[in-house]
Amino acid sequence: MDYGIEVRDQEAVIRLRGRLTFNDHAKLRALIGEMGQNKLKRQVLDLSSLEFVDSAGIGMLLIAREEMDRAAKQFILRGAAGQVKRVLTVAQIAKIVPIED
Amino acid sequence: MFKSAAHDAVQTGSRNAAPRDVSATPDGDAKVAVTAELLSTWLGFADVQRRTLDIVQGELTRTSDHVETSTLDLSERFRELARKALEQSERVAQIVDTAGSVDIDGERVPLDRLVVGMQDVITDMVTNIVTLSRHAMSMVYLLDDVQKDVAELEKSIGDIDGINRQTNFLALNATIEASRAGEAGRTFAVVAQEVRHLSRSTGELADRMRGTVTAVVKGVRNGHDILRQIANTDMSPQMLAKERVDKTMDSLVAQTNHFQSVLETAASVSSDMSSTIAHVITGMQFQDLTKQRIEAINDSLAIMSAGLGELETRIRAQVPPAIGAREPQEWLNQLMGRFTLSEMRERFVRRLLLEGTALDENGVLDLDAAGGSSAGGDIELF
Repeated sequence: MDYGIEVRDQEAVIRLRGRLTFNDHAKLRALIGEMGQNKLKRQVLDLSSLEFVDSAGIGMLLIAREEMDRAAKQFILRGAAGQVKRVLTVAQIAKIVPIED
Repeated sequence: MFKSAAHDAVQTGSRNAAPRDVSATPDGDAKVAVTAELLSTWLGFADVQRRTLDIVQGELTRTSDHVETSTLDLSERFRELARKALEQSERVAQIVDTAGSVDIDGERVPLDRLVVGMQDVITDMVTNIVTLSRHAMSMVYLLDDVQKDVAELEKSIGDIDGINRQTNFLALNATIEASRAGEAGRTFAVVAQEVRHLSRSTGELADRMRGTVTAVVKGVRNGHDILRQIANTDMSPQMLAKERVDKTMDSLVAQTNHFQSVLETAASVSSDMSSTIAHVITGMQFQDLTKQRIEAINDSLAIMSAGLGELETRIRAQVPPAIGAREPQEWLNQLMGRFTLSEMRERFVRRLLLEGTALDENGVLDLDAAGGSSAGGDIELF
């Protein structure tokens, strides 16, 4: 998995690409750190280019959400599709994290 | 047996036309001249008519009996059919009652409730997987930090060793300088000696700490490895299995509902059939009325036959024996033409031809014995 951060007026959009699995845990931790650093209140994770997420990936997304909560920032998941969307739906992540199309 | 008429003269019974042939008797009976041919024809016709009337009566009785037997048989079969239809509807109703639920530990659980229950269980399972994954990842991050801290600790112990070496070196130098100072440095030599002891103790402590830290590092690394294995086990396929289970359950419920509605229709159709058959059985009571009508017709025919016979006897008594009965061939042909059923025609022919013969006396004319040659004569109806 790799990612790119785009800071806009109102929100920071982080686009994840490829497969988000356990092996990316160090990278995701660094990303969470970066998200905490920038000043914007809205941190949007753009999942439209993410092809696959495993259960560890779901766990990491929830940790990211907890960290944003602690930093008093809004954390939003956007544009999930395919397997990623299905897993998010089945896991009922929408109950915990706002999900946008 | 049949003889042609004695003469051809035809005279009517009209009073105007033949006053000379008519002679009144004191009791009012008038004598009329009739040709022998007409009398012969009448006698032949009367004979055939009487026998035909008998046959018709016999056929009517036979028909009435046949209808009665068949109707009773049909009614019985229809009753059986109605009973079976009712049984069927009861059986189907039982299936309808049980189709929507399953037996679990002696308790009937409706299928939709069961499905919702199972879906809830799977939802909980998925939620648990999510929670476990999150906790596992938190632990992984935590142990990542601990490993960094422990590495820091190992480095610090190494630093203590360095400081200790320096301290030891300084103490040694101090001892040498103190002995060079002679009596004045004696006290200082004692202090230097103490510092060396202290340095050795510090070295020993650092060794012990290194041993313990090494054990901790080993434990943490093992734990970390195990945890990585756990967190690295992808449970997303198991989570996605919920989709399949949900679809299966929904399909199961839909199918059961469909079966139930089809079975309900079947039960009501069976019940309708049963009541329709009951109506059919009621409808079969026409036979009773038919039987009474046929009996009344037969009674009329018997009276007519008796009257004809009596008249025939009286006329026969007054006709000279020379005048015989002439066979009414044309009428017979017409009558025979009506009997398209071979078994019936056979009975008619036997009756007409054999009555009064030796064969008759031997019981050949027995009505029930007749028609034995054509098994299943009814089939010719079609």
